[in-house]
Amino acid sequence: MPLESSPEQPQPLRVVVNALKDYVERTGAIWVEGQVIQLTRRAGQVTQFLTLRDKLAEVSVKISTTTAVLDAAGPLVEGQVVTAWVRPTLWSRSGSLTFECRDIRPSGEGRLLAHLEQTKRALQAEGLFASELKKPLPFLPRRIGLVTAEASAAERDVIENVRRRWPAAVFEIRYALMQGANCALDVADAVAVLDKHPEVDVIVIARGGGSLEDLLPFSDAGLARAVFAARTPVVSAIGHETDTPILDLVADVRASTPTDAAKRVVPDAAAEAERVAQARLRSEQAILGRLASEQRQLDALRSRPVLRDPSATIDIAAQRLHDLAGRLGRAIGVRLDGEADTLTHTIARVRALSPQATLQRGYAILSTADGVTITSVTDVMPDETIVARLLDGEIAAAVIDVEPADQPSDENEEP
Amino acid sequence: MSTPKQATELSYEEARDQLVGVVRELESGSVPLSEAMRLWERGEVLAAICQRWLDGARATIERAKSVQAG
Repeated sequence: MPLESSPEQPQPLRVVVNALKDYVERTGAIWVEGQVIQLTRRAGQVTQFLTLRDKLAEVSVKISTTTAVLDAAGPLVEGQVVTAWVRPTLWSRSGSLTFECRDIRPSGEGRLLAHLEQTKRALQAEGLFASELKKPLPFLPRRIGLVTAEASAAERDVIENVRRRWPAAVFEIRYALMQGANCALDVADAVAVLDKHPEVDVIVIARGGGSLEDLLPFSDAGLARAVFAARTPVVSAIGHETDTPILDLVADVRASTPTDAAKRVVPDAAAEAERVAQARLRSEQAILGRLASEQRQLDALRSRPVLRDPSATIDIAAQRLHDLAGRLGRAIGVRLDGEADTLTHTIARVRALSPQATLQRGYAILSTADGVTITSVTDVMPDETIVARLLDGEIAAAVIDVEPADQPSDENEEP
Repeated sequence: MSTPKQATELSYEEARDQLVGVVRELESGSVPLSEAMRLWERGEVLAAICQRWLDGARATIERAKSVQAG
């Protein structure tokens, strides 16, 4: 709608803007398809904003909408493809162009993903993904349960890699559809059967890579519940590293690929054999060391003098005996010497008292013929026979005369 | 030692501990002579038990190793 204008006769700005506003708003509401960029929900606000970008071209616009509209759309994530019913609006105050959105919904693939997201949130709320409920895998399972497609690359990958690590591994395989409408049910059944098997200690669900649609059954709520209910630990090995179906979250262990699953379910036989050999070597060294130490101790004990040469004990006793005998001898000698001394002295005294010395000096012992010793002149009468004992014999003599020595009293002169 | 076990019933540790005791008694010199001779004889018996045990243990290990290798 052309407006006349020139540098001399310009149109007022408001006129131009209002005219444009009319023009734009005449377009009316229209359904557009685009990608959600920059969606930040502002809490407590009615009006919400997001940016919508063309799927292919570098074209993006600002969308304003309400909380109610956003809530009605279901979970929206950035990058999601949506269809939105928008009405273009030109704000005369700022001249800016915005689109008011009355309805927004995930499109096609977006709808799928949104549904998945909903399922995931529901199951999470039920506690199916809780890490404390995850069961540990056995170190060495008696049998390995395997749910996979017959003659598939996934089956081959799992079996080959497991056997390489642990050649003696035994599998219990249940083939199932790994895509399509009946897949979820089929896999759930297979899991249930393997779970009941008394020797199956771990279950691996293996499938190679595929499109979103192909892997969809592995995000099925029913399958997730079946796996959650299994008492045997379950390993999920679906698709490639980047695929994360819901099964990955509910399984006890998530393997990024079927090959990775093989590493998780069995130990490496070569590494284990090495470890055992090491342990054996160390225990052998330990016991030999202990024996050597005990032997050394025993040798030390045996070389002690008291054991090696018992005569030493006897020698000690003999020495003591010898010492005692010596002391005994010395003791008796001392005693004898003492006695001898005493004896010598006594003899000398006896000898001193003996009349022998007197006799030696020339004295005689006089006695009557009866043998009574004469000690006084009054003991004898003249003409009486007396015996004189000299040192070397006796003399028989007669008394010739008796003469008393000069005495003050005369009573001895009695005839 | 309250009641000495029969020599054949002794474990290695028991025999060795008793041997240590015998040596200690003999070295103390406070044992009567008749007792000393008896002690020495027992010491020899105990030492023989210990040595037999050690030799047996070594033989067992050698046997096990040769079985493993062969």
